[in-house]
Amino acid sequence: MSAIALLTYNVSKEIRLLGSARSDNVQWSLVQTQVEFLEFVQEVENDPVDLGQMRQEFDIFFSRIATVKEATVFEGLRADPEVRQHLAALSRFIDQAVEIIDAPDSELLQQTPRLAVMAQEIAPRIRALGNSGLDLYARQADAQREAVARTMTQLAVAIAALIGVLLLAILYLNRLNGRIYRRERENKQTSTRMSTVMSTSLDGLIVCDADGLILQFSPAAEGIFGFKEEDVLGQEIGSVIVPDHMRDAHDAGMERMRQNGEKRVVGKGRVKLEAKHREGHIFPVELAIQSATTDEGEIFVAFLRDISNRVAAEAELVAARDKALAGEKLKTDFLSTMSHEIRTPLNGLLGNMSLLRDTKMNPLQERYVGYMETSGRLLMSHISDVLDITRYDAGKLSTRSQPVDISALLQDIVDNQKGTATKNETSLTWRWRGERMNTVLSDHDRLQHVLMNLIGNAVKFTRRGEVSVTVENVGETDNAELLIQIADTGPGIPADLAERIFDDFVTGNVAYDREAGGTGLGLSIAKRFVDALGGEIGVQSVVGQGSTFWVKLPVTPAGPADGKPEQPAILLPTRPLNVLLVEDNEINRIVAREMLQAEGHSVVEANDGPQGVAAATETHFDLILMDISMPIMDGRAATRAIRSSNGASKETVIIALTANAMPEEQKEFLSDGMNGILTKPLSRPALRDLLGHIGRPSSRETQGMIDIGHSDQTRDALGEEAFVKLRARFVSEVDAFQNWLESGEAHDFLEISARAHKVAGSAAVFGAGPLGKTLKQIEAAAKVGNVDDIRDSSARFATSWIRTKTELSQ
Amino acid sequence: MLSYVKKVLLVMSLAVASVSPAMAQQIEAPSGDVVLTVSGAISMTNDGDQLLLDVEMLKGLPATTFETSTIWTDGVHQFKGVSLADFAASVGAEAGLFLATAINDYTVEIPFSDAVAGGPIIAYLMDGEAMSVRDKGPLWVIYPYDSNSLYRSEVVYSRSIWQLDRVEIVQ
Repeated sequence: MSAIALLTYNVSKEIRLLGSARSDNVQWSLVQTQVEFLEFVQEVENDPVDLGQMRQEFDIFFSRIATVKEATVFEGLRADPEVRQHLAALSRFIDQAVEIIDAPDSELLQQTPRLAVMAQEIAPRIRALGNSGLDLYARQADAQREAVARTMTQLAVAIAALIGVLLLAILYLNRLNGRIYRRERENKQTSTRMSTVMSTSLDGLIVCDADGLILQFSPAAEGIFGFKEEDVLGQEIGSVIVPDHMRDAHDAGMERMRQNGEKRVVGKGRVKLEAKHREGHIFPVELAIQSATTDEGEIFVAFLRDISNRVAAEAELVAARDKALAGEKLKTDFLSTMSHEIRTPLNGLLGNMSLLRDTKMNPLQERYVGYMETSGRLLMSHISDVLDITRYDAGKLSTRSQPVDISALLQDIVDNQKGTATKNETSLTWRWRGERMNTVLSDHDRLQHVLMNLIGNAVKFTRRGEVSVTVENVGETDNAELLIQIADTGPGIPADLAERIFDDFVTGNVAYDREAGGTGLGLSIAKRFVDALGGEIGVQSVVGQGSTFWVKLPVTPAGPADGKPEQPAILLPTRPLNVLLVEDNEINRIVAREMLQAEGHSVVEANDGPQGVAAATETHFDLILMDISMPIMDGRAATRAIRSSNGASKETVIIALTANAMPEEQKEFLSDGMNGILTKPLSRPALRDLLGHIGRPSSRETQGMIDIGHSDQTRDALGEEAFVKLRARFVSEVDAFQNWLESGEAHDFLEISARAHKVAGSAAVFGAGPLGKTLKQIEAAAKVGNVDDIRDSSARFATSWIRTKTELSQ
Repeated sequence: MLSYVKKVLLVMSLAVASVSPAMAQQIEAPSGDVVLTVSGAISMTNDGDQLLLDVEMLKGLPATTFETSTIWTDGVHQFKGVSLADFAASVGAEAGLFLATAINDYTVEIPFSDAVAGGPIIAYLMDGEAMSVRDKGPLWVIYPYDSNSLYRSEVVYSRSIWQLDRVEIVQ
């Protein structure tokens, strides 16, 4: 374009040059030189000669030559050396002629012939000048024409280029136009498709603008809300479908969005809300709102679905589930209660049979009692099973983590089952596969229960075959995992039974049941225990060939297991003990009393908590056996009462009698002031063991501040970990008391007495007798307000505490 | 003194003529050499139907002076003369065409539209000197070429007639 502008400028300049020609009619002027010269010559040669006319013709010629010599238009001409020669010759002629012409008439007349000769001589010069000029100007004209032609050619090329560019532009615009047309058509198709989608969508679709005014209301939305599209177009959506109680929140939300673009529902996926029908009823909807920016500003597209039916169905399901759960809980509660209720009289039966054995019986009677005992223990184990299940299902089954010697455990079980196996002519063996891993952290009792069950089953169902137990570590180095497999060559389990063999109350075929017996709870309990231990249990079986039960347990390798002897050495008390028995169940009370009396001890009975507390206050006992669940005041409350009283037996060893105490509960018992736990039903060996501890003063007791026997008892009851924790708490408790006592502040006597009493209770738990004694002296002195006594006993307490603490930490 | 009186008379008579151009008026014949013969559609005459003017009579008309270069001379020169417009008014010409003829009978046509203020003059002095025939005198039609580019054209150059001695106004 700029090239064209430049060329256009050039062309216009050329045109202007052509227009404002500075050349005059130069060629004509040159020709005129000849004409005027010839006219002069004519006058010179005229006869007679007209002098005036001749002079005028000369002057005209003179003027012409002067013009050629001076005028700027002839500059180009004068540049030619040939022309300059001609002009110089002409000038000489004119100079000579002027002298003659300007002379007086007579002289001029006389000189005229000479003038004619001179003119003849110069005439060729005049012609030559004219020819030179013509030549020159012809060349100049050619050059100019060429220049014009060149410029014109350039212009033509430029215009051609411009036309080319314009053609390209047209082509481009044409393509652009085509593309726009195509896009428009696509848009139209898209919008047709969209409207088809909208009208056939099962979900209602509502489109609003930024002010909430409805722009579109799909047929499905009409069906959901009962409005016709034409009725609601342009209306505020809040007034159409939002229930009255949600209007404020809706308006606030719209306002927030307008103010600062905050969107709580838009673009947040599916949301459940309530909506209002045309007829006014409220129903639940599920909706998703998305915003889009269009030329008309932001719009909101909402997809809605009436979920009344779904919500109703869900509510029904939830209700049904709740009902089922409630029923399940009721069943569990019933089972739990019934089991407890059955166990109490059964304990009575077993206890009395135990006593019956001590009487004189004939052999037949002894056999009958043996049968009864076997039946009773089986019944007890069934009840324990049921209790275990209900406890697991109630989420109350907890496990311990203690070192367990796997080899010893398996050996025990195998020994135990050897008799039955031999009877069935079956071999029973166990072995480690791979590297042995004797001691692991697990729950000894639960694991024993599971393995006993599996091995017992294998032995029970196998006749003239073999049962082999293998154990191996199949885990990684850091994550040990025990795989225990119990393989038998028994009858095997059909596939359909194998699938549900770990379910409750599943038993094998009836004939075997009769032979082997079983509630069908054994495996389901085993599965629950294994679950509780974080493991897996399963079975592979081929009917007619045998079954392999396996248990996989994640375990942690541990140091050697507690060297707890299976059958603790029975320590016989060195003297008869005075025992207080607090038990509400008469039969249990009688059994326990008979057992104690059979060992030669004297027994005082109390029927409930208050009676027990009263007796303990009055009399000093060597031992108190305390039932836990009793009406009016349970064993825990009674124990606290005895410990906090100033009674004669406030420091006596109190042992809890309980059927099933969880580890946490046992801790609570100890914190109440109890010293140990005896599990019901009461067995004579367990009772003897306990009595031996109580009645035999520890040899170390006299030397030190701590009764080790007593302390060990607590340790056994609590487990090592809990014991250590409790001990640390005890130490800090005594330290705090000492600091408080010696802080120098004036203390209320009542408070001193209460605090000393509390610390004394704790000291008793750890068998810190001497320390407890000094604390009791402080308590007694504070009660009567004897300041001197308080000071003295405090000093003794301090001394005693230093020694006690040292021994505690050993 | 006499020339002065004559000049005054001519101016007066020319002034009257301009008032009533329709009426042909006789004015005095020139006393010096006739340098310009005016004929054709004019209202002022002094020799039959033509007007003969000497240099003095021309000088008596309103004078215009300007400086310009020309393509026939070297450098810028000052020209003084009577503008064609004043001249047309003085001789009582109102429209038509000036047919200007030189001593050598060279004739050009000057349209009446050229007779405007700032237009061409019939120069009788160049640089304050009278011009001889040898210097393209005594009368030379000069346009102000420098002050107007329109005057730098072939046509205008051809109208710049020198050695002018006759003017005929034709309709």
